Amino acid sequence: MDISALLTQYGDKYLQALLTTWKLTVFSFALAFLIGIIITVIRVCPIRPLQLFGDFYVQIFRNIPGAALLILLVYALPYLNVILSYYTCVLIATSLIPSAFCSEYLMAGMNTIAPGQIEAARALGMSFSKIMKNVVIPQALRSSVLSLTNLLVATMLTTALASQVPMNPMDLTGLVSHINTHAVGGVTAFLISAVLYCATAVVIGQIGARIDRKVRILR
Amino acid sequence: MKQKQPTIRDALYEAPGPKARKRIAVATVISILALAALVIAVIRRFAENGQLDARYWSIFTRYTTWRFLGYGLAGTMTAALTAGVITFFVGLLLMMGRISSFKVLRALCTVLIEFSRGVPTLLFIYFFLLVVPQFGIRLPALWKVAAPVAISACGVVAEVLRSGVNAVPKGQTEAALSLGMRRSSVFFKIVFPQALRFVVPALISELVIVLKDTTFAYIVNYSDLMQNARVLISNYDALLSVYLVTAVIYILINYILNKISVAVARRTR
Repeated sequence: MDISALLTQYGDKYLQALLTTWKLTVFSFALAFLIGIIITVIRVCPIRPLQLFGDFYVQIFRNIPGAALLILLVYALPYLNVILSYYTCVLIATSLIPSAFCSEYLMAGMNTIAPGQIEAARALGMSFSKIMKNVVIPQALRSSVLSLTNLLVATMLTTALASQVPMNPMDLTGLVSHINTHAVGGVTAFLISAVLYCATAVVIGQIGARIDRKVRILR
Repeated sequence: MKQKQPTIRDALYEAPGPKARKRIAVATVISILALAALVIAVIRRFAENGQLDARYWSIFTRYTTWRFLGYGLAGTMTAALTAGVITFFVGLLLMMGRISSFKVLRALCTVLIEFSRGVPTLLFIYFFLLVVPQFGIRLPALWKVAAPVAISACGVVAEVLRSGVNAVPKGQTEAALSLGMRRSSVFFKIVFPQALRFVVPALISELVIVLKDTTFAYIVNYSDLMQNARVLISNYDALLSVYLVTAVIYILINYILNKISVAVARRTR
């Protein structure tokens, strides 16, 4: 099939698939960022058991393969009487894995702050919450812009997991396998999805780099 | 034991006074109770649904089960190492293209790297599963996993290697060139060995990603750990326990690889 035939037959499906991928990416990233911040706070709080729990959480979701997590959610949870929709399973898998990486990046961002700054803030009489709000978090966020941008791209790539379960509408990867199993889409069907993914990644990367140039702290 | 580097975790708080110490103690007890409650709730959930029955877990006392999982693990390792080696060399070529002085080659390699980094592994796997056979090319199952996984990782490896090359001071290249060394021998004898040392930890981390991506082997029917787990499940009708153990095996392997990466990073610093 050549590109025009493909586009007339599947054009709106591609558009739908692109929007599905984008939607999944945005939702997953927002959730991952939220969970990542909470886990990071837990990991730096002075309560030891919570710290250990946070570390444990990060190690689990950093190291589990996406497919393994999705399979557990979709096929194993029903045996515990927890039945979730396919969409929910995908969303959970594509949020939990990036959330662990998000926490790692935020920790790395925090570690770029010199301990002297915190001592200075304390000497000025700032309370802990003030130190966090005015000294630590802004700097940690500013120095992790690039890694968070990469995380957003990685989250988008993770959402390809959605192709492993029946979804309606399908995501970009699911659509390609659908087209190729129902008709001979050939290289073109694959290339359209690939280019859409790639273009999104490049745009995200450019925006991230621009934000980074603006907010980077020169040391 | 070596003195631990002070991290931000230690710097965030001053030594607690008596009041704060009491509050921390109370919070510690409460959090232990809450976490224990969570664990108990999960275990109860297992018990209520009969998932703690001996028939689900007794298969793990058998040698044959572990041998079968071991074969699967060997399959995973073969796929990951094959993909890893291809990734390294393709990544190296892409990186050399990207830093070369030929404009066309540089542009081409930049595009290829971006393509590899911006497309999900699954899409490449479907390409090798569904599109490549349309051209009459029949690949063995191992290559249907290793090739797409390698392709989707080589862009990152190229960028990692490039960051290593950039970390080698420019003066060394200039000095070697002024001594009359050829460009290629400057790169391979002086710049690259040092660059490689810088990036070994990042390369090990990339191996973790490669290993995780090989989990998709079930799509192409290559018998890796996950695929063998599925066979066990259909043989013993024990889904939850087998998938859980499999996931734990994956997590442990990747955890160990990450630890090695951190240890190497500390040694080379």
